[in-house]
Amino acid sequence: MTRPVEFVVNGRPRVVHARDEDLLLDVLRDQIGVTSVREGCGVGACGACTVLVEGASVSSCLALAVDYDGAAILTVEGLPEDDPVVQSFVEAGALQCGYCIPGFVMMTHELLAEQELPSPEAVRAHLAGNLCRCGTYYEIADAVALAARTLAARR
Amino acid sequence: MSLDEAVSSGAVGQRWRRTDDVAKVRGQLHYTADEPTRHVAHVAFHRSLRPFARLVEIHTEEALALPGVVAVLTGADLYEALGNAIFTGPAFSDQPVLAYERVRFVGEPLAAVLAEDLATARAASDLIGVEYDELEPVLDVDAALSGRSYVHEELRPSTVFQDLAHLAGVRETNVNYQFRLRRGDAEGILAASGAKVTGDFFSPPIHHVPIELPRTVAWREGNRLELVTTTQTPSYVRQMASDLLGIPLGAVRVRSAPLGGGFGSKMYDRLEPAAAALAWVSGLAVQLAVTREEAFLLTTRHGARVHSEMICDEEGSILASSADIVYDTGAYADVGPRITAKSGMIAPGPYRVEHVAVRSRCVYTNKPSAGPFRGFGVPQLTFAHESLVDELAIARGEDPVAFRRRNLLREGDVAPVGTRMHSADFHSCLDAVAEELGWDQPLARGSGRVRRGRGVAVGVKAVLTPTVSNAVLQLNQDASASLVISTVDMGQGSDTIMGQIVAEVLGLTEGSVRVVPTDTDVTPYDTITAGSRSTYHTGNAVRLAAEKMRDRLIEIAAARLGVAVTDIKLGPEGVLASSTQVRLTLEELVRGYFGGARGTTLSTEAGFATEWIPYDHETGQSERVTEHWFAGAVGVVLQVDTATGRITLEHLAVAGDVGRAINPTLVEQQLRGAAIMGIGLSLFEEMVFDEGQLVNGSMLDYQLPSLLDLPARLTPLIIESPHRSGPFGAKGVGETGILPVAPAIANAVRDATGVRITRLPLTPERVLEALGSGK
Repeated sequence: MTRPVEFVVNGRPRVVHARDEDLLLDVLRDQIGVTSVREGCGVGACGACTVLVEGASVSSCLALAVDYDGAAILTVEGLPEDDPVVQSFVEAGALQCGYCIPGFVMMTHELLAEQELPSPEAVRAHLAGNLCRCGTYYEIADAVALAARTLAARR
Repeated sequence: MSLDEAVSSGAVGQRWRRTDDVAKVRGQLHYTADEPTRHVAHVAFHRSLRPFARLVEIHTEEALALPGVVAVLTGADLYEALGNAIFTGPAFSDQPVLAYERVRFVGEPLAAVLAEDLATARAASDLIGVEYDELEPVLDVDAALSGRSYVHEELRPSTVFQDLAHLAGVRETNVNYQFRLRRGDAEGILAASGAKVTGDFFSPPIHHVPIELPRTVAWREGNRLELVTTTQTPSYVRQMASDLLGIPLGAVRVRSAPLGGGFGSKMYDRLEPAAAALAWVSGLAVQLAVTREEAFLLTTRHGARVHSEMICDEEGSILASSADIVYDTGAYADVGPRITAKSGMIAPGPYRVEHVAVRSRCVYTNKPSAGPFRGFGVPQLTFAHESLVDELAIARGEDPVAFRRRNLLREGDVAPVGTRMHSADFHSCLDAVAEELGWDQPLARGSGRVRRGRGVAVGVKAVLTPTVSNAVLQLNQDASASLVISTVDMGQGSDTIMGQIVAEVLGLTEGSVRVVPTDTDVTPYDTITAGSRSTYHTGNAVRLAAEKMRDRLIEIAAARLGVAVTDIKLGPEGVLASSTQVRLTLEELVRGYFGGARGTTLSTEAGFATEWIPYDHETGQSERVTEHWFAGAVGVVLQVDTATGRITLEHLAVAGDVGRAINPTLVEQQLRGAAIMGIGLSLFEEMVFDEGQLVNGSMLDYQLPSLLDLPARLTPLIIESPHRSGPFGAKGVGETGILPVAPAIANAVRDATGVRITRLPLTPERVLEALGSGK
């Protein structure tokens, strides 16, 4: 038994049909085609499925789609061409296999919306729930710092 | 000027950006699960609840009756359709696609439900009932060696590794392979003298946990089989499916997208045998997508136990070394026998040792199968030899770096396995990490609750030999190119560096070479993407294909311009006839060759294969056991909180001899990434079993390194000792950094506290326990 759920995903209004138990992750991937959102653990422990809902990070592998009726959801696909976080990750070479990177990018957006120039400790604390098995952490931390400086300069 | 000197675009050695960086950061690059596929039946497994039992009866009626369920297939159903071919495996044909007659570990798939959606498939799999007749389980290697119960009734070598054929039909054993290395009289020397060091070392099973989960889709098209799968080994999978189904290689197509990490977990037989068999027998398109909890059961890294002894003479030269190694390979051998040999041959470490005795055994137990993992069994051995070498130095009152420098193998030395060393610069690796840590300066070790210490370790590994790589290069008219190879990019950056090799030879620009995704209908045979072998082997095939292309372009230009081939220079701007100073761009040259047609391509191809001399079965000796060596060193400065047992890493330096860095940035990422993985297995990673049941097989319970677990500094150091036949001198690097991490950390803990810990991981509890018993 499904029911319609309305989201605004990356700025576009979408209607999906979800059962009560359907995960936001699966609905985004299977019905909307947002493939940057990925299951790595299924228990909210790796961050590969992170999306921003009204600016706040959500592990979509733990979220029920029906609970997000009316929500505005942002994924990496919805970031603009000149997004400074995306550009900083590319510039810093902050990727290897790349699978976890969209999750890190979204967490970085959440952090930099809260803190203009976060300390290295704040960066580590905010991103500690995102796992990169390739071990690209130093480059990722560099990318976050670079993005923070770019954003601060634009303000 | 020779042709070799004619082109120098400066591509090799440059820090070119990854070809896929923007696509990956923006989430545009599609991994296997992101591609749309045809309508599929979703598959869920019913898994064994017993470690070892005879299957008496499997009740599937209730599952079949659930609405949405399309089919339920058991091991017996597959056996009826495919016979003994359902037993697959790279070393032994011992693993049934679905358990048949017996289950051999908790979590082994024994029936598959095919349903319209995954939730239904999983619900139905819970409705399957199984009657077991329990057998005495073999839960650890001691039980395995006791001779009370046998995981397999007889050994069944596969046809992949022909040197295992003599083991066919051997019964009443859990030891499926034994490697021996013997040189001189190690046992006599070690027995006669008292001034030796000994240790019993243990490395637990751990898991790869690439963030991308494994996934396979398979379907039948008449008498063909199509597979889309997360594999590091498409060529192997194609052969496996051909053998399993009894159809020609040409009737099997295996495709793989770039992988979201592999580390050895996505190779040989994972989900692919089940996907192939289920699609073939049911006639349905099937999708196998497992949860993280299920992925923990697909493969593991071998737990290993090592008893080792070493002795040095009065001058401080290592005289003799012995090791007795037992690898726990779980219920199915996978490549355990290869790991047993590959690590056994370097058990004495990267040292000049005249007297060596090694026994390395691969042992079945009733646990999930262990297979390849970054380092291929060598890190478990490095932990042993580097801990003992430190103890030898300490016993002499000598600096561990100085002691190692005197004993390390040098260029031209013959290793204990009998093969001459080349392009394995252990000294420079060790010197680099020592210098980075300021080893010549005294370290303030502290006297209070927090103690500081430092340690080093050196690692050696032989590259997989013999192997084969092939490359097809298509040069486009506009000076871009498509490279057709079966190397899978899983984050190591092979797509980028293979393009750099082509660009170096042909004078192409950054980002102009596209590596075609693996598709066995198109991309040629390549042994495996593993064992750090691609840079050297595929890289050489790519270099040769590019050189053929260069020669072809020069011939075409010479004919067009009416000059000798020796008169033509090829460079980034195109071709130049030196005598006449006439220039043509590549586009003008190629377009002219094809009579003015637009969008044309020129193709060349090349292969590269290595050879070895198989090691002697009694002594392990071979004059050519490997094509080349990996050499690495790690040094670390750390703190130990003696009240909590917690270890905090201050600075870790990791050096690897890569021959020549095709792309230094990617080399540094591999060294650092391997070191971080090494930190995890050193400090906290462990798969915990209770009565054969994995108890921490979830990412809530199995900890991976995060941003909070890193050293304050982690310095990658590139050493370049060119290999005479590497592409531009290069060798691989994927595993080098992980080899010496654990012993370097354990040696630093010893330096800080005076306590030697020989069991990984070095958790706070274990450190505290050791400090307590050391007092």
